Amino acid sequence: MLTKIAGGDIIDPVNGRLGQGDLWIRDDKIVGAPAGGAADRTIDAAGCIVMAGAIDIHSHIGGGNVNTARLLLPEQHAAHQARPAATPLSNAGWSTFQTGCLYAKMGFTTVVEPAMSPGAALHTHLELADIPIIDKATLAILGNDDFLLSMIRDDAPSTMIEDYVAWTVASTRALGVKVINAGAAAAFKENVRTFSLDDVVPSYGVSSRKIVKTLQAAVDSLGVPHPLHVHCNNLGSPGSADTAASTIAAAEGLPLHLAHLQFYGYGTEGKRKFSSAAARLAELVNTTPEVTIDIGQVMFGQTVTISSDVMRQFSARGSASPKKSVIHDGDGNGGGIVPYSYGKDFYGTMQWAIGLELFLLIDDPWRVFFTTDHPNGAPFTAYPALFALLMSREARNEMIAGLSKSAMALSTLAAIEREYTFEEIAIMTRAAPAKLLGLTDRGHLGAGAIADIAIYRRNGNIAKMLGQAAYVFKDGDLVVQDGEITHYRWGKALRLNPSPDKAMVRRLEDYHQQRYGLSLDWFNFPDSAIAREQPFGEVACRT
Amino acid sequence: MAVAWIGNRETLVERAAAHAAALLGSSRCPVFSLDTDIHGTRAAIALAERVGAAYDHADGAALSRETALFTDKGAMTVAPGETRRRADVVVIVGELPQVHHEFVGELAGTVPDLSAKNQREFFLVGPNGASAPPLNNGRAATLLSCGEASLGATLAALRAQYRGRQTSQPVSNFDDFAKALEVARFPVFLFSGDATDGLALEMLQGLIADLNRTSRASGLHLPASKNGWGSALASTWMTGFPLRTGFARGFPDFDPWRYDVARMIAAGEADLHLRISSSIVQPQKKRHRMALIALAKTQKPIAGAAVTIAIGEAGVDHEAVFYSSRTGSLRSVDARAASELPSAATVIRLVASHVSAEAALPC
Repeated sequence: MLTKIAGGDIIDPVNGRLGQGDLWIRDDKIVGAPAGGAADRTIDAAGCIVMAGAIDIHSHIGGGNVNTARLLLPEQHAAHQARPAATPLSNAGWSTFQTGCLYAKMGFTTVVEPAMSPGAALHTHLELADIPIIDKATLAILGNDDFLLSMIRDDAPSTMIEDYVAWTVASTRALGVKVINAGAAAAFKENVRTFSLDDVVPSYGVSSRKIVKTLQAAVDSLGVPHPLHVHCNNLGSPGSADTAASTIAAAEGLPLHLAHLQFYGYGTEGKRKFSSAAARLAELVNTTPEVTIDIGQVMFGQTVTISSDVMRQFSARGSASPKKSVIHDGDGNGGGIVPYSYGKDFYGTMQWAIGLELFLLIDDPWRVFFTTDHPNGAPFTAYPALFALLMSREARNEMIAGLSKSAMALSTLAAIEREYTFEEIAIMTRAAPAKLLGLTDRGHLGAGAIADIAIYRRNGNIAKMLGQAAYVFKDGDLVVQDGEITHYRWGKALRLNPSPDKAMVRRLEDYHQQRYGLSLDWFNFPDSAIAREQPFGEVACRT
Repeated sequence: MAVAWIGNRETLVERAAAHAAALLGSSRCPVFSLDTDIHGTRAAIALAERVGAAYDHADGAALSRETALFTDKGAMTVAPGETRRRADVVVIVGELPQVHHEFVGELAGTVPDLSAKNQREFFLVGPNGASAPPLNNGRAATLLSCGEASLGATLAALRAQYRGRQTSQPVSNFDDFAKALEVARFPVFLFSGDATDGLALEMLQGLIADLNRTSRASGLHLPASKNGWGSALASTWMTGFPLRTGFARGFPDFDPWRYDVARMIAAGEADLHLRISSSIVQPQKKRHRMALIALAKTQKPIAGAAVTIAIGEAGVDHEAVFYSSRTGSLRSVDARAASELPSAATVIRLVASHVSAEAALPC
């Protein structure tokens, strides 16, 4: 089927295409204008912006901890209306089905679940397989697991560590590797309550820094396109900017991605010993080209924090609102679920302002990524409002007027004039994520790319414009029209597939038999277990 | 071999499925009881949405107590693998389902390799005369009891004594327990909703929270039913809610009292019962004005059922995905003795295909 998207304002930074024109789709791919070709279908995009489908690199959309959060908070996500006939379960509050629909309506077509416990890979992929329309991907968590920590302690050769990382990525069908408060979950099991970059995990004698550097090197050496994705130590603590700065410095020339930097943008100045260190961190990011970051923007209102940083979540239990939480010591990281409401008080305002300062003070939109760390800073449904804040100083000033004056007095936000352009938005939410994840087939509108396309009708109300796409195509299927889902389909989970080393598989079999009394078969699964046609799409490692 | 019946008459599966769909379509209050694997659950929930049914586990009471701990209170829990490798004190809370006894025996037969203590002590919380699952090598768990007091009361007394408070009746062997805790690095409490009520589960979590003020401890959830907990997980990601959810209003509505399927049947609210369990062999008590559709591993029609369709046993006749209490997550298993019997999911989808709808099933 040949589709012509006619007369839209095309924003495709990768291919240098900015301006009015046509875009052609043949079946599931973008193609050049066919010579004399007559379209089977024409979409009138006059007055619309045409961009590639958006990519979210860090959003907790599925897996054991997310599901536990759903279980913990049934009162928070009741459905409000009967389902639309064409989209079963899509109005089930906070269901997998709703997740895919809500993302698609905003023009997002690929979302990465950034924290998959390797032992719960099957569970995670089953949830992702029930998220309709969009493609998904996962990052496998390493860095608190006994097998890795033991190898580092025992000075195992780097090739052996790479074999283990490769096996983990392959067997869990992951797209990359994440380390979460490296070593802290293991230390917490031994009753350690705080843990910094140079602290040492008891019983292993291995520092958090050593774990991060080991994994960073392994990921790079294996050619995993996405750099090691790091959730630093001391998340949320006053003074955590020092930790983030030390971690940025530890990149040492190799690629490193720091997740939700806003949660580390905290200094210790002022009478409350809580201040913005955003300018300092932004400057560090600006001058450290091997580092990329995502923000984890806070927006006001009720949410739930979901993290495999079990030590941090344990310490946050007292602030749970409502007053209930789940803390789980897992085989590696485990996790914690703590509901939380961001108020417009001093602290909430400061967190909100720090996130925006980082967005606006980091110069290069190719290295700063648009996230709320869903749902930790805010649900992803807050994205349209966040786009408006980034693209309009006036919108920021209107918001600031209703916030804590004492917090804003310590922030530079009100003085920042920058407003993101649509081109920068297209880079930050399309082109750069595709590059960061190694997804060459998306994030742009060049011939050969998959036809993941978001079309927005121009509107002075940015939130409305970017919150309800006029049209969304996924793999060439028209899935959204006028902000409503028109077609259910099933995306894939994008994965790497490095060949596992046979000696490592034998070693892991022995390890699981000896330590857990279980064969490795208990943790492996065939693709058929997902019960969907072609549940996975393979992405190549760098050669 | 016959695999489907309408009443007592053999028929084709397709016809039985169409008849089941007609019954579902005309029902004013259909209810589903599930005892199936993850994919059977997913298919059943998709059908429940289509016909406006409520669904529950076949033995919903115990599962409901377990889900209520999470929906109402929260918890501190630990993975079974970490329990094996780290628990130097194991406290068995009340009676555990038989299916978990093997794991308890395994804990008794191994030492925690990630603990400096390198040995385990066992305690059992329960009334006088309570017995723990068999431990290896003639070992016995030390009983912590308050005479005939309930499990909740005993846990309350244990918690009070641990905090140095007065109790009306002391817990037996408390000094041994206190001594063990003094040197323990990671005590783990094994619990289930099978024979433990909600208050006891909450009190246990209070005790675990108290222990974590200064040291580490956690609880290992050993579900009353692996199929039940697996279904609860699948239901939660599909609808936002665990079992005892209904679609009577066109969207998922979680109400653990209202959608207690056993209660709905007993109260005469339900007029159609779809029971999905490979292990059904005995007929349900015949209910006046309530039709039964049975999906079961059977070679003959279920007595009193309007429709019976034979299904295979997940993990035996066909591959399956289960909750594994041994790993604390979902596990894929191959067919042990593959047969041509269809899976519950396959039959449910066939039934659903005969229910008129504007959209394809989501799973």
